[in-house]
Amino acid sequence: MHELGIVLEVVKQVEEIARVNNLAKIDTLVLQIGELSSIVPYYIEELYPIAVEDSFLRDTLLRIETIPGIGECSSCGLSYHVKDSDYKCPDCKGSEWTVITGTEFMIKEILIESSGCQS
Amino acid sequence: MNVIEIKKRVYDRNDEKARVLRDELKAKGTFMMNLMSSPGSGKTTMVMGTINLLKNRCKIGVIEADLDSDVDALTVEKTGVRVIQLHSGGMCHLDAGMAREGLEALLYADLDFAIIENIGNLICPAQYDLGQSVNVMILSVPEGDDKPLKYPAMFEKVDVLLVSKTDTMEVFDFNLDILEKRVRKLNPSICIFPISAKYGDGMDVWCDYLLDAIENWK
Ligand SMILES: [Zn+2]
Repeated sequence: MHELGIVLEVVKQVEEIARVNNLAKIDTLVLQIGELSSIVPYYIEELYPIAVEDSFLRDTLLRIETIPGIGECSSCGLSYHVKDSDYKCPDCKGSEWTVITGTEFMIKEILIESSGCQS
Repeated sequence: MNVIEIKKRVYDRNDEKARVLRDELKAKGTFMMNLMSSPGSGKTTMVMGTINLLKNRCKIGVIEADLDSDVDALTVEKTGVRVIQLHSGGMCHLDAGMAREGLEALLYADLDFAIIENIGNLICPAQYDLGQSVNVMILSVPEGDDKPLKYPAMFEKVDVLLVSKTDTMEVFDFNLDILEKRVRKLNPSICIFPISAKYGDGMDVWCDYLLDAIENWK
């Protein structure tokens, strides 16, 4: 399964982040997944509980932010949402485009319980 | 709640390992081919055919990571090249760390050409840079000329596409021109070689390309 290997990799990297920053617990993990990244958020969510079961992230919530797949038309320069437009420029119908956003796969941030001081 | 900004690309760690490995391979003059395909795409015949055409011209080693593959280490060994079986522990892809393990087990330093047979699927391996010199993918004719529409990420990442089992083209109503158009849309600079390893068609052109690439790597 494609996504399981990926989730395990994320867990490994977040554990590393926790270790380096001396964190006792992480409340929420926020991932960013681009629509053109070939990673399906649904599967990540399904597999996440299995992947964290015996890990430091056992009680950490997962939140996924989707980044839209935007391309720039190579003929007329228009930026458009490629999947919604069936990979064709809605203006000139050109099918060549370059990625502007949407291939990301990032660990965006982690949320931890504030330890005393309010900000 | 405190927010700690991380902003870290998940693939970065692997990409860095791959970069280091690629530099080492370059320094030692070992050209590495990352070979990807679906199961049953004719990988065995292709690998054996390639080895037979090249083994007298350069020193070859094979890393076999595809457990479902019918290229077993023993069959490859009979051709006289070095081969090891790499156990990936049920993962769906190799990463640069595993590629390094395989190469080191293969004692690769004196090899001109290392072939890594990646795990047989078309989604995961494309995301992981192994440190390879070239990414090659096999698409067999029975899989259909619409495969690029279903797995675009893979076709974007490979340098070479081998279209195998071309002898069955008529049976499967496979249109090479349509395929090429679909692939080039995703990846304009890709090299496409139609081959029939069974009858040897196209194998010489493919192997000439490889030999050139291997020599240029030094
Ligand atoms: Zn346009």
